[in-house]
Amino acid sequence: MLEIDKVSKVYGGKMAHRALTDVSLKVEDGEFVGIMGPSGSGKTTLLNMISTIDEPTSGEVVINGENPHNLKKQKLAEFRRQVLGFVFQDFNLLPTLSIEENIVLPLTLEGEKVKEMEKKSLQIARKLGIEEILNKRITEVSGGQAQRAAIARAMIHEPRLLLADEPTGNLDSKSSKDVMELLETMNKEEKTTTLLVTHDPQAASYCDRVVFIRDGKFYSEIHRGEKRQPFFQQIMDTLAFLGGEHDDLSSVRHS
Amino acid sequence: MTFRQFVIRNVFRNSRLYAAYFLSSMFTVMVFFTFANFAFHPVFYEGSFNNNALLGMGVAGGIIYVFSFFFVMYSMSAFLQSRKKEFGILMIHGMSSRQIRTMVFLENLLIGVLATVMGISLGLLFSKAVLLIAENVLIISESLSFYMPWNAMGVTFFSFVVLFLLISLFVAFLLRTKKLTELIKSDRTSKGEPKASGLLVFLSVFLLGAGYIIALSVEGLQVTAVFIPVAILVMIGTYFLFTQLSVFLIHRLKKKKSLYWKKTNMILLSDLAFRMKDNARTFFMVAIISTVAFSAIGTLFGLQSYLTKGLVQANPYDLTYHPYEEEENKEAKAEIVSRTLEEEGVNYEVRKVEVSYFSGISGESNIPVVSSSLYNSLAPLVDRSEVHPTEGEAVMVNGELPQTDTVNPSRNLMDKDIPLATGETISPDESVVSSALPGIVDYYVVSDDTYENLPEAADSDVQYVWQTEGSEELVEIGTQLSEEFPPGSLTAIDSIIYQINKTYGPILFIGLFIGIVFFLSAGSFLYFRLYTDLEEDRKKFGAIRKLGLTDQEMTRVVTKQTGLLFFTPILVALFHGVVALTALAHLFDYNLVKESFYVLSSFALIQILYFLVARMIYTRQLKNV
Repeated sequence: MLEIDKVSKVYGGKMAHRALTDVSLKVEDGEFVGIMGPSGSGKTTLLNMISTIDEPTSGEVVINGENPHNLKKQKLAEFRRQVLGFVFQDFNLLPTLSIEENIVLPLTLEGEKVKEMEKKSLQIARKLGIEEILNKRITEVSGGQAQRAAIARAMIHEPRLLLADEPTGNLDSKSSKDVMELLETMNKEEKTTTLLVTHDPQAASYCDRVVFIRDGKFYSEIHRGEKRQPFFQQIMDTLAFLGGEHDDLSSVRHS
Repeated sequence: MTFRQFVIRNVFRNSRLYAAYFLSSMFTVMVFFTFANFAFHPVFYEGSFNNNALLGMGVAGGIIYVFSFFFVMYSMSAFLQSRKKEFGILMIHGMSSRQIRTMVFLENLLIGVLATVMGISLGLLFSKAVLLIAENVLIISESLSFYMPWNAMGVTFFSFVVLFLLISLFVAFLLRTKKLTELIKSDRTSKGEPKASGLLVFLSVFLLGAGYIIALSVEGLQVTAVFIPVAILVMIGTYFLFTQLSVFLIHRLKKKKSLYWKKTNMILLSDLAFRMKDNARTFFMVAIISTVAFSAIGTLFGLQSYLTKGLVQANPYDLTYHPYEEEENKEAKAEIVSRTLEEEGVNYEVRKVEVSYFSGISGESNIPVVSSSLYNSLAPLVDRSEVHPTEGEAVMVNGELPQTDTVNPSRNLMDKDIPLATGETISPDESVVSSALPGIVDYYVVSDDTYENLPEAADSDVQYVWQTEGSEELVEIGTQLSEEFPPGSLTAIDSIIYQINKTYGPILFIGLFIGIVFFLSAGSFLYFRLYTDLEEDRKKFGAIRKLGLTDQEMTRVVTKQTGLLFFTPILVALFHGVVALTALAHLFDYNLVKESFYVLSSFALIQILYFLVARMIYTRQLKNV
């Protein structure tokens, strides 16, 4: 599904800075993968390479058998809105639109029929438990609800790959739990390959596999067994070995 | 770092934020200075210049100053609006509201003084060009040479330092410090979608309709009487048009999902609705200001064309000598004119026009009747076709005056019969519009034979007319000859038009100047509006682009958004302008279609240019994330 082959990123300028060095990663269809690492380890840079927001200096990213970085601008935008789905830390919902309008936006850009859009938005809203707030504005709902709306927006066009950048970063623990459970369910039910970048070990413990990177290099990876609790413990242990700053272990975050 | 250093650094290191406010202030200063530079030109004070024109310039200067005041004030408040969050952060760190006021005051003074100095310097750079244009528009015999305008510089500097001082004081007090949370969250809180009230929507349609109908239905002097009430009706109507009707229409569009949920329409329309509250106020101001500009320039332009065109039509010949009855040596005097023309080397044709007036045709007044041979000798001179009435027929000729429509029908000459000496009568069977006979509104042309058979004339009149191929010397010759002849008897149209243009020039120039200033500042208002939303738009488009909005689609949305912003108020203003100029045409009883078309279309053109530039800059800034 997703293949990252020896991707490096150097930020130019007077002081060249190497953000990623030869990172390789393979994600199977339907897999739920977490990426963790201390601040500045290159998590978000890696995600940006995958989400085509940024281009790698060397190496190759192949999504669904296609290298999006070779696409023309126009095609790239279309690729993003057909193949990829995004969930951001700060939701990125548009304040001018209602929740429902925000959710159907990707379909609107595609030029889908109104009936179809209404059907799909209701369907996904039911699944995510936000059908009550469809007509509200984003300033009128809580952070957890907003993030669920953002997930609905990211999923409504049935993307092949869902990218989530610190989706629980702005949420309280209860909402975090809800959102992660949702992502897990969606991953299992819809078979959407999901890539999650997070600081939060609690959130990461919902993944099938967690990849750790440090100083822009691959560090290690661990697989989840049957139960979530031991997996969480494993993640905590690895993080301790990783030796980030102390607050990287807590769920207080900065990205 | 002292407090004052902090303020100064805050301005200089944040120059991008302050740029828009600074530039519009500078622009205002430049405009005022350019005008002052012109008004204080020594040429106008060396005697002969018209006192009224000087007074007019004083008034115009005052108008520009007052307008500058409001313009700077508006820019200022828009600027402060966008900085609410900054104030919030400063207050959290313990800045008192008094300190904030002091900060705003100092900032303003700094920007104001800089803008004044820069504005004057830029104005000085362009002053020669402006003086050249003025020279051409004004038809001043002396040339407007470049000079060091110490007076203008002094006045501009002093006026604007006072202006900025006043505004700084004013704004510093106006700046009410709201609750901290409101300030800090100001970039996140929804301004909410305004709601339209059905009653007010109806009222806006009703007021505009009533205003238009009244303006279009009155005639003549009534126009001046209804001017103010109509202006008030239309102004209130326009306000509700933007605050209510537009909201109502957008709501309607949003309800129609097949349209609203189609591609980028959703982004565009939701945005429009969201910003309508802010937009409505800007739209209203821009529409009214532009209407004023259109009407003012249209009026001046129309008035000039009315005056000159009317005169040219009433005096189709280059020179017309219409001696008073008691005058002697009429022939000899006419000979003087011919000789002068010959001496100056001007080719001419001269005609002696003898017109006889006959009674018994229409009530008490005597009606002129001329023979076809006389008419046909004149017609080719003014490019009119000859007429050939047969025996016992008459052709009625209407003079080509601007007021033709209203003057002639009253006499109904077409229905009258012309009695002949033989006792028969002939009735006119054809009518023609022509200006072959100077200064006569309507008359009959009969064949030479019929002319012989007319009864004795009640009155008669002699005129001499000269037609040349057109020559620049005519102005000079005309002026000179008119002085030698009894006042009013010799009409030299070229020199009269020259005189009119000369006295009218300054008025036209001032009017144009003010109109253009108004119009340009309307454009700046719009750009300001756009600029305030830049940050928000940048964030918004950044988010949607990640979801897969192509650059093309974004440009399309931005084009529509800016297009609506730029053309909605102007379109309304154009409508107002057309109605105002039509009413004006009714006042003068003169057709202003051509003049209105020139004025309005040139404004529309400038606006299109303005739009293209603004769109280009804005899209570039948006992509520049």
